[in-house]
Amino acid sequence: MSPSLARRARYELAGRVAGPLLVSLEAWQRRLRRRGRPREGPFGPPLESVRKLKELMTLHYFQGRYADGAVPVAWVTSGFPVEILRPLGFHAVYPENHAAMCGVQRIVPGLSDAVEAQGYSRDLCSYARTDLGSVATGRTPAGRLPRPDLLACCTNICQTVLYWYRALADHFRVPLVLVDTPYVYGEAKPHHLAYVRDQLEELVCVAERVSGRRVEPQALVEATRKAKEGTDLWAECLATAKQRPAPWTGIDGFFHMAPIVALRGTEACNAYYRLLRDELRDRVRRGIGGVREEKHRLLWDNLPIWFAVREVSTLLAERGFNFVCTSYTNAWAEAGSRIDPANPIGSAARAYTHIILNQDLPNRLGILRRLAREYAVEGAVLHSDRSCKPYSIGQVDLKERLAAELGIRVLLLEADHGDPRAWAPEQGENRLTAFMESFG
Amino acid sequence: MPLEALANHGPVVVSSGTELVTRREHIAAQREAHGRLAVAVLPIHYPKEILTALDLLAVELWGPPGAPRGEAAGRLQSYVCALARNALAFLASGGADAVDGVLFPHTCDSIQGLATLAKDFGGWGKTSFTFLHPKGPDRSSARSFVEAEMRSLARELEAFSGHVLEPARLDRAIRLHREIDAHRAALLDGRARLPQGDPELYALLRRGEWLWPEDHLDEIRAARASLRDRPVQRGVPVLVSGYVPEPAAMLEVLDRAGAYVAADDYAAVGRRVVRRADADGPAPGASDDPWARLVDLYFAAPPCSTRSADPAARVRHLEALLDRSGARGVVLHVLKFCEPELFDVPILRRALAAWNVPVLVLEGELEAELSGQAVTRIEAFVEMLS
Repeated sequence: MSPSLARRARYELAGRVAGPLLVSLEAWQRRLRRRGRPREGPFGPPLESVRKLKELMTLHYFQGRYADGAVPVAWVTSGFPVEILRPLGFHAVYPENHAAMCGVQRIVPGLSDAVEAQGYSRDLCSYARTDLGSVATGRTPAGRLPRPDLLACCTNICQTVLYWYRALADHFRVPLVLVDTPYVYGEAKPHHLAYVRDQLEELVCVAERVSGRRVEPQALVEATRKAKEGTDLWAECLATAKQRPAPWTGIDGFFHMAPIVALRGTEACNAYYRLLRDELRDRVRRGIGGVREEKHRLLWDNLPIWFAVREVSTLLAERGFNFVCTSYTNAWAEAGSRIDPANPIGSAARAYTHIILNQDLPNRLGILRRLAREYAVEGAVLHSDRSCKPYSIGQVDLKERLAAELGIRVLLLEADHGDPRAWAPEQGENRLTAFMESFG
Repeated sequence: MPLEALANHGPVVVSSGTELVTRREHIAAQREAHGRLAVAVLPIHYPKEILTALDLLAVELWGPPGAPRGEAAGRLQSYVCALARNALAFLASGGADAVDGVLFPHTCDSIQGLATLAKDFGGWGKTSFTFLHPKGPDRSSARSFVEAEMRSLARELEAFSGHVLEPARLDRAIRLHREIDAHRAALLDGRARLPQGDPELYALLRRGEWLWPEDHLDEIRAARASLRDRPVQRGVPVLVSGYVPEPAAMLEVLDRAGAYVAADDYAAVGRRVVRRADADGPAPGASDDPWARLVDLYFAAPPCSTRSADPAARVRHLEALLDRSGARGVVLHVLKFCEPELFDVPILRRALAAWNVPVLVLEGELEAELSGQAVTRIEAFVEMLS
């Protein structure tokens, strides 16, 4: 057996046999640890789907350890039209998703220190510092990340990703494909969409060269159909929180969005969201809430504070506050309406140009306004995120406009999505407590 | 009041020939004498030739330096770069009311956000324009996009100015700016042979940010004539790279410490000087189509982080500047929170360390004055190089 065939066999074995066994073992150990311990706290019963979510993501990362040399590997930004890479058999790794894992596990300062020593400023995005730090030190909670054969970056979430991925390209010496999406003021101009379409065509050529395969048109149509179905299913999951009580919390949503980010365009992703949607609908029918006693409904804007997500949500849930919608998780539900399987490239150009962060503030205000109304929120917390300037610029004005137009209470909370050194817990808790007290 | 505020951006009084001119006076004079409308332009890169061809006066808005003032000062968080924060406060407080429109080039996430914030949520009520840069490498899709974006901007500016952009007018404007660039390149490349000190040279170069180009051409041509045959600068030659030479006091501190800027890679200055094409017309083989020439010039400009230039190209460019100027050290003068520049710092430091070139990384927030700590660091750096 040739070395590449052996690696491929090992990769498949990891995905089909060893991975599932490992996942079962971990689940059994978790059950043992929890046996006899009743779930306490202000939250409703845990979602059954969480187990499947953990299995899915563990398997994805576990199989990824064996992807080098077995299948082409692409490191991809969260807003990249990954479905174009699916027919070529790429294993997609999402450094942002990985950085979020590092954030939850509070290992960002150590990783950041490693790149700050190389001259990277602490003022740069903590996702970028985390990822570059992980590459520099080899430290990762995922065990091991496969080496990329291709770096795929789309500027629809920020321009930071371009600089970040260029640093990765310099380190790994592999091709970097960039899909540059012009910022949309009002409506995208025809030449903007033509530019994105041209780049997507260029992407196909590079990805074909790296993978050594050709994109079959029908396979691309099918991957696009799955991506659209996945975003639609994700939208259906989110929409269940319009009910009172919301069957889950917005914080749950931050974790359950992992498949739509990392596995978009796959059947595994869609199967998971069918399961989650059905469970959420069942909880709605049975009146089970994400928070035991939902008194007040809130909107969250911007990325989560990954390292403090549990503390913040618990503090709020203890007083009956639930984040029933978030602009961040909603972003992955919005794209579906513009994706057209009959026109994979053209519709991808349009869909991925019209991401929330690539559009002007009136559009952003419109989304927040719509979410606030549809989910019947009484307040909003706008996370002023030091690490995400595109998301945070304009929040001072958005706060005032939301409060004035909708008559809701709005709090601007300064923190960082990954780096706990930029978060003052006592001050943050005080502000959140005062915010909750204002509801009477 | 608004007109005064505009005059307070940068040097209040400058010399133009024998006359003393302020920005405010210049804008008013251009309007009165030529009927020219003025457009404030945010940093950094934009097709100035199009504005000139349409008889529009470009007045660049680099902040201004100092603490942001006025009611809008707190509308952007403190972790957003000072340039965007200051510009919003300045626009919203009426500081730029003397101009008729604002152009926001798509330089970075912050200026991109500023464009929608000021226009849509208050701060700028007059006309505004955007110019989007293609990010990434020089490729056919990027070239097509740049041309389309330039033509789109030109159409909007035509309607705004009431002029029609004839190809011949655009061609003349390109020639005019090529000549200015040729003189600027001569001054920067022949720095050691120029008797003027850095504060004087930079005041001259930066007047190009707001003077009518033909007026600027006169003074810059005269300055070029003062170039000597052999070096006259006796200080320690240094290369300075960064965003914008603010506070200008840094140049005075360098001068007092016994150094001079032998090579410039400021985004506001050196990175906007295109050296490749001939000032008298298109380079051999180049197209006669002015749009094609503009696109060619766009991609011929020195590598700049804000246009997402390949860092390797930037390293090569710095290497060439060091070789040409004989600079003994490099000052990386970065703007705090400026992601495009900050991401390049480790790469540049690595390259400079490999060449054994000492480097001083100086981070600023577009202050009006240089801090005592920064002065001490500059003095110590120059002393080390001496």
